Amino acid sequence: MDQLIKELKEEIIEVLNLEEITPEDIDENAPLFGEGLGLDSIDALELIVLMEKNYGIRLTDPAQGKEIFKSIAVMADYISKNRKK
Amino acid sequence: MKCTKPIYILATNQISIQEPLTDNWIENPVIYEGLYHEAIDPPFKKWLSPGEARRLGKIMKRAVATSAVTMEQSGIQDPDAIITATGLGCVKNTELFLTDMCNNGEQLLKPTQFMQSTHNTIGSLIAILNRCHGYNVTYANGDTSTENAMLDAVTQLTSGDIRTALVGAHDEMTPCYYTLLERIGYYGAEGMVTSGETAVSFMLSTETDNAADCMVEYIDVMYRPTDNQLSGLVNEIGSIDCIMAGLNGRHDTDDKYNSLIARHFNNSTILQYKNLFGESMTASALGIYAATTILSRQRYPEAMLVRNGVNSKIDNILCINMSGDYIAILKLSTGKRQS
Repeated sequence: MDQLIKELKEEIIEVLNLEEITPEDIDENAPLFGEGLGLDSIDALELIVLMEKNYGIRLTDPAQGKEIFKSIAVMADYISKNRKK
Repeated sequence: MKCTKPIYILATNQISIQEPLTDNWIENPVIYEGLYHEAIDPPFKKWLSPGEARRLGKIMKRAVATSAVTMEQSGIQDPDAIITATGLGCVKNTELFLTDMCNNGEQLLKPTQFMQSTHNTIGSLIAILNRCHGYNVTYANGDTSTENAMLDAVTQLTSGDIRTALVGAHDEMTPCYYTLLERIGYYGAEGMVTSGETAVSFMLSTETDNAADCMVEYIDVMYRPTDNQLSGLVNEIGSIDCIMAGLNGRHDTDDKYNSLIARHFNNSTILQYKNLFGESMTASALGIYAATTILSRQRYPEAMLVRNGVNSKIDNILCINMSGDYIAILKLSTGKRQS
């Protein structure tokens, strides 16, 4: 799981162009939206694309995304259970 | 069209292959060789927080910076109109978006790249950041985009529909973009100047407190003008001290400039700017920027002089941009108009 969390942090930094943030700066238990990284709705779309492109997980229900994108730890847990690649 | 009321350029700024956001190029111009060069960027943190900047391509950051400095210098934070010129808009994001389309079978496309792959993203971003909710239009007319944007601004300022307009001209380049345009003969011809990225902003206004601000006297974009039309235009625009010509070292286009100049402006001082600022679809904005700066500073770098150097006061400059069958001209003069 630790390896997946590290991988996820690096992917999020790259996809969302978080230029001045390193994986060590991100608390995997902190909220991704609002507080924490302070991501917005466009970032949510980028994360949906990331999930499908990198892990083969297709999110169709927006409410589902709200739960899964709570934090990186929650995302990693969901990916580990549902990944297709 | 002859401007029937004074239209002043209150401020203008550039980010290009010369030192950004200064007019140091007059004293210390950088001379480039090679096919093309990226613009020299200032630190963008002054105008954009890391959060705001992270989604923006370089063309957007440059547009924000030149616009912000121009608005600050002019004292106008809420222009009535934002009018943008761009040849191909946000090419870098367009390329990334199209590459993803090809590689991913038109699936899984990134929203940020999509949003920033349209031409009018630049003007809308400036409007959003500065909360300017007025007229906002983008002109993408190839090499004459700048003059068409200027013509729109001047027409509306003259008619009284608006009192101030922020006019910008922005283009970026990528290796792929350059290669494709080189292949069709647009860039890289033998003897041609280097190509360079462009970001220029102007603040136009019908009012000024500064008598030294330069004015737009005449502007026109003509398609295949006849000799009679050109002669009529030369009579209408009046005396010309200097010509700012878009010479770029390419024989076929330079021949057109030289022929026009020989027929109508043989005794004027001839200046060029593309040998310093590079060629791009909105390079003519850098010519207008350079002309405005020269009128204000009353000097030009030796590297710009083509012939007939002048030591006396420069009262006006005619910027000429010739592209294909189009001739775009813009006459600038210094000082308040005598009423």
